[in-house]
Amino acid sequence: MKTILAVDDSATMREMVTFVLESAGYRVIEAEDGAQGLDRATATNVDLVITDQNMPNMDGLTLVRSLRELRDYKSVPILLLTTESSDSMKSQGRAAGATGWLVKPFDPATLLEVVQKVLR
Amino acid sequence: MKQDAMGSTDARDAAQAADLLVTVAATLNERLAVTADELARSQTLLREASDELMTAFRGAADRIVAAQRQDEEAQAEKNEEYGLVLDHLYRAVQHLQSHDLVNQLIDAQKLRVDKMREKLAQALSLAAPPVTHPDQAEPWIERSRAMLDCIVAGIQQIDQDAHGPLGDKHRQGSVDLF
Repeated sequence: MKTILAVDDSATMREMVTFVLESAGYRVIEAEDGAQGLDRATATNVDLVITDQNMPNMDGLTLVRSLRELRDYKSVPILLLTTESSDSMKSQGRAAGATGWLVKPFDPATLLEVVQKVLR
Repeated sequence: MKQDAMGSTDARDAAQAADLLVTVAATLNERLAVTADELARSQTLLREASDELMTAFRGAADRIVAAQRQDEEAQAEKNEEYGLVLDHLYRAVQHLQSHDLVNQLIDAQKLRVDKMREKLAQALSLAAPPVTHPDQAEPWIERSRAMLDCIVAGIQQIDQDAHGPLGDKHRQGSVDLF
């Protein structure tokens, strides 16, 4: 069973992402900001990280950069799931090492398709 | 003599303009206080409604995930039934996210209103001390200018500081893989 780390400061959002992923058979670990996400990712190796951008303590892009510095996370897919939709933010995400950028509100079927694709 | 009378008329006009500016700023500040209150009430109502919806959703979601796990080897017919229920729940997921986004939008509006109220209060405080030479136009004009500068700075600042989500509706739900 693949393990996915879902990072978002909104409990509702985490719950939605977790439900969709668990209903498709994935194991989900949650974190409520980038700093906690980094702790969780270093404590348990995960197969995919899905993170929000705007969060207290550590934002999504900083989390991506921090994870990419870790040997275990050089090639683990990382998706940004955020309300930010500007091209400049997406470029920053790409430069930081993100695998993809999804704009909220997400469509569950689309999220699952993307997850399956990046986990292949 | 004629020049004194002119000077006094200018001072009176400038004082009236400054008073008018104070009245406008104070009235606007009162209206913004009402707006801030209504935004807070809207957020409370939204939170209460969302909490109820989330409780109902959570109950249904937990059940279907647990049932799916229990019946992993279930016959195709049962899987089809789960699929139908999941489709309904997935649709709910998409719309329940609106609560979060609208909440963020209200937060951004509240921040805008608060910052504008702060600047208006600051502008009004500039009008509090008595004018040193009330019989001359220049001090009144300076006061009005300082108040307007403060209000304009407030307008510029709120657009820099307060960003709400849902900026581009066409990009909602979009996916970019790098």
